[in-house]
Amino acid sequence: MTISWKNYTTSPCFDEYLNKSKSFRGHTKKIGKFLESLNPRDLYEINNATESAIKSMGISFRVYSEEYIEGKDRSWPLDFIPRIIRKKEWDKVEKGLEQRVKALNLFIQDCYNDQKFLRDSDMDESLIMDSPAFKDYCLGMKLKHDSWSSICGSDLIKDEDGKFYVLEDNLRVPSGVSYMLENRTVMKRVFPDLFKHYGVMPVSAYPAKLYQTLASLSYSRTRQPEIVLLTPGIYNSAYYEHSYLAQQMGIDLVQGTDLVVLKDNFVYKKTIEGLVRVDVIYRRIDDDFLDPSKGNKDSVLGVDGLIESWKKKQVSIINAPGCGIADDKAVYSFVPEMIRYYLKEDPLIDNLKTYLMSDKESLALIDEKFKEFVIKPVAESGGYGIVIGKSASKKEKEETLELIKKDPRNYIAQPLALLSTSPTFDKGLIEPRHLDLRPFILTGEKSYVTVGGLTRVALKKGSTVVNSSQGGGSKDTWIVDK
Amino acid sequence: MLSRDAEHLYWLSRYVERVENTARLINVNSELMLDFPGDKTLGWKSIVETLDNLDIYQRRYITFKESNVINFLSQEKDNPNSIKNCLIKAAYNVKETRDCLPQSSTEQINNLLNEFDRSISKSSRIKPKDMYKLIEGSQRFFGIINDNFSTGSVFEFIRLGRYVERVDMISRTLDTLCVSKKNSQTHDFSTLEWASMLRNLSAQGAYRDEVKGEIERGSVLKFLFKNKGFPRSINNCLMEIDKSVAILPNNRLLKEEVSKVIEKIASSKVENYDDDKLHDFLDNLQNKIFNLDSRIHKSWFHLHG
Repeated sequence: MTISWKNYTTSPCFDEYLNKSKSFRGHTKKIGKFLESLNPRDLYEINNATESAIKSMGISFRVYSEEYIEGKDRSWPLDFIPRIIRKKEWDKVEKGLEQRVKALNLFIQDCYNDQKFLRDSDMDESLIMDSPAFKDYCLGMKLKHDSWSSICGSDLIKDEDGKFYVLEDNLRVPSGVSYMLENRTVMKRVFPDLFKHYGVMPVSAYPAKLYQTLASLSYSRTRQPEIVLLTPGIYNSAYYEHSYLAQQMGIDLVQGTDLVVLKDNFVYKKTIEGLVRVDVIYRRIDDDFLDPSKGNKDSVLGVDGLIESWKKKQVSIINAPGCGIADDKAVYSFVPEMIRYYLKEDPLIDNLKTYLMSDKESLALIDEKFKEFVIKPVAESGGYGIVIGKSASKKEKEETLELIKKDPRNYIAQPLALLSTSPTFDKGLIEPRHLDLRPFILTGEKSYVTVGGLTRVALKKGSTVVNSSQGGGSKDTWIVDK
Repeated sequence: MLSRDAEHLYWLSRYVERVENTARLINVNSELMLDFPGDKTLGWKSIVETLDNLDIYQRRYITFKESNVINFLSQEKDNPNSIKNCLIKAAYNVKETRDCLPQSSTEQINNLLNEFDRSISKSSRIKPKDMYKLIEGSQRFFGIINDNFSTGSVFEFIRLGRYVERVDMISRTLDTLCVSKKNSQTHDFSTLEWASMLRNLSAQGAYRDEVKGEIERGSVLKFLFKNKGFPRSINNCLMEIDKSVAILPNNRLLKEEVSKVIEKIASSKVENYDDDKLHDFLDNLQNKIFNLDSRIHKSWFHLHG
């Protein structure tokens, strides 16, 4: 018995493979037919091959709440059915993302300098000025290529109309790109034949592009820049990614104790040959831990004097400290306006409609139509603190409204988006599961958008929570040219 | 190379080599015991002494019966040098340096730890088979390293760690032999003892190529100290250390120290020393190795204060 699409339900969401009349979309036909030719045993076999490839490659991640046990990292969950996007559609998204991140970077620089947008727009300036991400020491800083968030990970979703929307922009230390690269490596091992026939665009340029971006942000003109990746260490949930990227770029993976700032305000790394000057730090630790003298005094992850060195432009810190001011769901709602303001262009990708809870009328609307909305705290990430109106009990609704009223500026509401679905393997069957997409956007001398990105999929039926820390999986993302 | 990475690689290598040496020691002693099943003066105590762990041992156990000692050497939590603890520390050092190492070598260490865990969870009694697996697994790790690098800092620090650990272990084992010889014995088993020493170092074949006839103390000592072709002779370990030192930066003081030790061994008449003199000589060598290790730390790992 081979699999059939008869029991595969698509409505009311947009499905990436099947249209409403349950026939394959043009670009998914070939793989759809291939899947049809398989029986449940074949599917299990492919799934096992995928899992064992991941295990032997050691692709893993760690969930923060778990106690640290040696060798107990979790294997990365990859669903072997790819998510497929047409190149023509992707080209537009790519332009839209570049546009968006350009505007965001100009906005961050503006906030620390002339503050024109805050004066000219309706944005409540306290949103920026009172934000814990706002760093006084950034005032007056202008960065090379205006690049504050040089590596941005924006989360995209497709609503029921099949159009991409931006859900949020991760401007601080976004992670996941190594999984995008490794997913492809695994898929090539498992499905060599499919790749031969499909014309899937390669994703492997990313580490080289990242290196070029980092190098272009060095202030030193006279020498080959010395670049390092700063990690909190092996207990961090993304350590796998840190060591993977360092290895791919051929740069040192350093911890705070490997670096020192000398009296000349330059940063040096401690090597077997003595101290070696560092030009660019790709940091994967949070702002407040970078420099104990400027943030968390007890931080053992950072380096004393690092911020001073950065301010004197003797080292580049990527992403720049203080760039988190724009990484906030309330600020997000102003991005389309930023694009018009700074670039005099219309946004190419839309935002989801977003209601600020500090606005009385909006709050009243949410109170009335709670079930149609999702409530999000503005500064959380990783899917924490989100309340989905549809599935909240009466008590939860009251508690949520109570929280909002106590601190309205800390919450936004968005209409419940019906995340698109794609066929996904589940216990011998192929079923629709919700997904999103995180592409990565690099900004240096040039800009670059990953070919596709990391597709995250909610493995539980009906769930829209795609975070790997909460039972989400991933898919290889294919951009196909046809 | 970062000083921290260099230190992790050096210790990674020392721990893997320590696993191999400990496994060898256990195997050879088990075999030796089979030759003298009833002899109470022979035993496992000397091995615990060789590894400098007597204090820790006596806090946990009273008698030196085989099962106790093997348990202590292979999986005792409180013994920092138990095989299990060495493997855990090797895996930790691998994780810290994963970006410097070939993937297959990191997989090899993780697999070695996982397999050892599986075999001790299946049966509390360690079998010779488990020891052979450890020896094989450690050698495979070094094989992968040698297959991926022929020089460079990663290779040099791994080589350095391996041979410092090895020369340390050989000198300890020899020392135990001459100390234990002082105790009264019911058997004249010196030939057997020296043969087991050779077996411990997989040296019988190489020794036989050089020396014919009965296995005899003087020629074994000469072979183990001075042989130029056998990779587990003290001379050869020091020559390997010398090669790595020559390639690494800031090496002046170390180079001098290593040369002095090599010369000292070459000019000695170690094959004629009696047990007391040999013990003093080995004591002195142990100190020199300890100093080499400190100098390695000062030159490359802790040069930044």
